[in-house]
Amino acid sequence: MALSEKSNEEISKLLAKYDIKHGPIVDTTRKLYEKKLEKVMKSAPVQSSPDKTYYREEAEEITYITYHQSSPVQAVYSDMLKRRGNVEPDEAKESDQGTEPPIQSTNRAANHSTIRSGELVRKSGGWSLWKVIRLLLLLAVLAAFLYYSYCRLNDIENPFAIQ
Amino acid sequence: MSSTSQKHRDFVAEPMGEKPVMALAGIGEVLGKRLEEKGFDKAYVVLGQFLVLKKDEELFRDWLKDTCGANVKQQGDCYGCLKEWCDAFL
Repeated sequence: MALSEKSNEEISKLLAKYDIKHGPIVDTTRKLYEKKLEKVMKSAPVQSSPDKTYYREEAEEITYITYHQSSPVQAVYSDMLKRRGNVEPDEAKESDQGTEPPIQSTNRAANHSTIRSGELVRKSGGWSLWKVIRLLLLLAVLAAFLYYSYCRLNDIENPFAIQ
Repeated sequence: MSSTSQKHRDFVAEPMGEKPVMALAGIGEVLGKRLEEKGFDKAYVVLGQFLVLKKDEELFRDWLKDTCGANVKQQGDCYGCLKEWCDAFL
């Protein structure tokens, strides 16, 4: 895939890719642009190198999340998470709605580790992962409490078998 | 910018018409001959190349160096000359 074998259009595209302002690729100009491209390609081997570091950060974030998700946050809740991560939630717990997207995306990030979900991971990572986990815990407790009181209301004795 | 030569001032004073390539500042006999051999026998042909390179200094300098072996000063003189001519007449 030598530069000299590429068509004029391909050279033009490469120049645009490296943000090199250029004129028409004609016989007299072609060699100059090939030289320029070689120089640029040597100094910056992959145009997306900043993206690479970006991805590495995400990889760290992803592994961080998987570690914490596997640790016993709450046995019930993590089960719920796993189920919800794979299947769309039918039962809608009101308080959970707001935070569900981040959970799902972080779970997916753990499973698939794609860049897109990694972006969301990164956003939540910026917001401090611990805050997210604490908030989820709080919501879980609240949800349990609401369910308990709802059952009490409907006269179901001891929904959690709490004496 | 350094003071311009008489040749430069003469060139940018009027439309180049059919002036030979050696009328360009920085292009003497030796370089002029090399350019003519490559087909750039008139100043306007070099102007054409200058314009096709979108008046880019770096590219034009490289091209001049590759085509006729001009040194840095000669490249600069020729580029400046053509640029000023374009500013005035193009």
